[in-house]
Amino acid sequence: MWSRKSAMLGSLAVSMYLLGLTLRNEQLVTIAVVVFVFLTWAALFGGHADVASSGRRSEEWSGEEGLALSSVSAMRKLSSARLFEDGELDVTLRMQNESPLPKILEVKDRVPEVMRIKEGSNYILMELGPRRETFIEYTLECPLRGFYSIGPVAVRIQDPFGLFHKEKEMHVYDDFLVFPKMEDLKETFVKSRVPKIFTGAVNIRQPGPGSEFYSLREYFDGDSFRSINWSAYARSGKLMVNERERDAVSDVIIIVDSRAVAETGPVSRNALVYSTRAAASLAKFFLGRRDSVGVVVYGDEVVSVDRDTGKKQLYVILTKLAGAVARGNIPLQVVVNRILPHINKGSPIIFLSNLEDDPTIINALRDFRARNFDVTVLSPSSLEFEFDAKRIDRTGYEVMKTERDVLIGELRGLGVNIMDWEPDMLLSTALAGARGF
Amino acid sequence: MTMNKPSGDTSHLYDGKTVRSAAPSRKKLAGQAGGGTEIPKDAIPKVEIPSFVESLLGGPLVTKMKFLAPDRMVQNLQLAVYGVLVALSLMTYMVSPPEGTIWYMVTGNLAIAFIMQLLIISVAAGTGFWGTFQRDGRFTLVSNLLFILAILRFAASKVSLASDPFGLQDSATMLNILVVVYAVLLVMYFELANGVIRYSMLDTSIRTNEVYVMNPKKIVSKYHRSLIINPIVAGILAIIVLSANTILPLIVGIFSSDTALRMEESVELISVYGVALGTFFVFCVVGGLFALNLPNHLQKFREKRAE
Repeated sequence: MWSRKSAMLGSLAVSMYLLGLTLRNEQLVTIAVVVFVFLTWAALFGGHADVASSGRRSEEWSGEEGLALSSVSAMRKLSSARLFEDGELDVTLRMQNESPLPKILEVKDRVPEVMRIKEGSNYILMELGPRRETFIEYTLECPLRGFYSIGPVAVRIQDPFGLFHKEKEMHVYDDFLVFPKMEDLKETFVKSRVPKIFTGAVNIRQPGPGSEFYSLREYFDGDSFRSINWSAYARSGKLMVNERERDAVSDVIIIVDSRAVAETGPVSRNALVYSTRAAASLAKFFLGRRDSVGVVVYGDEVVSVDRDTGKKQLYVILTKLAGAVARGNIPLQVVVNRILPHINKGSPIIFLSNLEDDPTIINALRDFRARNFDVTVLSPSSLEFEFDAKRIDRTGYEVMKTERDVLIGELRGLGVNIMDWEPDMLLSTALAGARGF
Repeated sequence: MTMNKPSGDTSHLYDGKTVRSAAPSRKKLAGQAGGGTEIPKDAIPKVEIPSFVESLLGGPLVTKMKFLAPDRMVQNLQLAVYGVLVALSLMTYMVSPPEGTIWYMVTGNLAIAFIMQLLIISVAAGTGFWGTFQRDGRFTLVSNLLFILAILRFAASKVSLASDPFGLQDSATMLNILVVVYAVLLVMYFELANGVIRYSMLDTSIRTNEVYVMNPKKIVSKYHRSLIINPIVAGILAIIVLSANTILPLIVGIFSSDTALRMEESVELISVYGVALGTFFVFCVVGGLFALNLPNHLQKFREKRAE
């Protein structure tokens, strides 16, 4: 294939040739001839062989035409198919030259644009000997969650002057998944008010058999002698016993707002990024407590993961969160109407949203509260992200911040545990703030 | 507006406005606030695509990449460019006498034409030096264009020299060789000047870990080899092609000596048109070979032979 440089030299030669004839200038004709010869020699003996296929795209080539490249093959190996955000992925690309002739190859392994090369290089210029193979190794840093694919491998042979080249895309693809990173939570302060029949480790704010302290009360006949609080007895002169909070497995529903507006802000710092990370951390925490966790992600459609327990459920949830894309604008009311009949009354509901561009939020959360659901809202503020990125000015920020505060105040008035989650705040701190601790 | 009011009193914000039950459209407000609604810069991956002109020249005109200090390879290439530039300037002066230049046609004054011609060659050399030294494609491009401008002359069917210290004008063959050498130097200057920028980019990419080069010595030596072989081959082949007006009568002479003699003496064949005709035939053959996909067959043959 002609490069633009060779096309320019060719055009220059033709122009000089014609101009030479017009001006009757032999020097111009001579220069044109030299340029032609230079191009012809580079095309014929420049270590490639495809000048005849000028103007054709590489994907249109058949194996026969791509002879010089048909003897080059590529294989790839990834260190892992699943990893967490900020994790590292080792890629090994094996290039083989099955031809009896050496080749100078330019190899570029295409990696997703959001990835960063931490070590090594995915772009190699090499001399590959006859019937030799080589390994190209590099490490990718994966800063953002999602489904990704590495490939194709673009291979190019060109003459030393860069006049003619032949390129081919080897369709070798490897898929991998980047899960949102998780924060270790010690306590979420989220408790169910409704017991379930199975005992577990979740407090449900009712006295009963459990592990955590609930309150003190006077001793009644039949109370266990071991539950007497002797210090309280010493203080009050009455026999007092410790009451414990009843434990039970509870259903926890996490709703993640994945509408287009959730991605307002820089690519790596926006409400959706924070929400998915929070959802993953919370799911891990609750599942670790043997709770039953369900996740609803809504954007252009409502995607839900049914409540379940165990490690497998965590994997399913993480996969769904990894694939959450900011799209669409489904109102929260639609989501609430759809899930309300399917969730147990009184279950804790955690809603992760920047609370923007949705006039149904108040009504939807009112519906939850009217049915006595324990609603916690963590709202990563897109305003802060945008203000930090200097995309909005101070006045605009102040106006919008005030309106946001009004909305948050209104939701708090409904009995919703809500926290305006600022960018640098840890999830555990935001949760504690939401729950009034 | 809110800043000057006493703290805590925000009622003025809602004057004449219904407080809605949800946050207002922030995009709309941001637009009013002068923040702009364009796509954020960091939302678009940074992709640098060379412009059409840049790709024609095989490298950037205005380099977006800041080159690191030239390594040995680039320094050698720069030295080669300086050498070629000196030779090319002298040759350009020799093969393009002021007679027949545009300046002579316009002014009709030989002295002015001479000064203009000298000026163009000097500026071409100067910009070439500076462009190579600074590794700035813009100066190199100007230099290339000025060298081409210097050679544009009318009515130069027969090669004439501005300065002929070695008496080359008396021998048609030597004159032909001189013009071919000049043309080869011009093409090599184009290539070397471009090579300085290409290899500076490659060197910077290697040193910033953007690209990794395996066996760089072999790759560089191949370029060096090509820099010697290609001009020699181009020069020899060009001389053969340009000697079509001598070779053709020789071939014809095998069959008819009279026709060959007539051909040798014909104005058409020894003039520039004869050269052009010969060149045209040769390149028709080369074009035909390309049309038959010769390079592929050649490669196939070489691979089979190696097996």
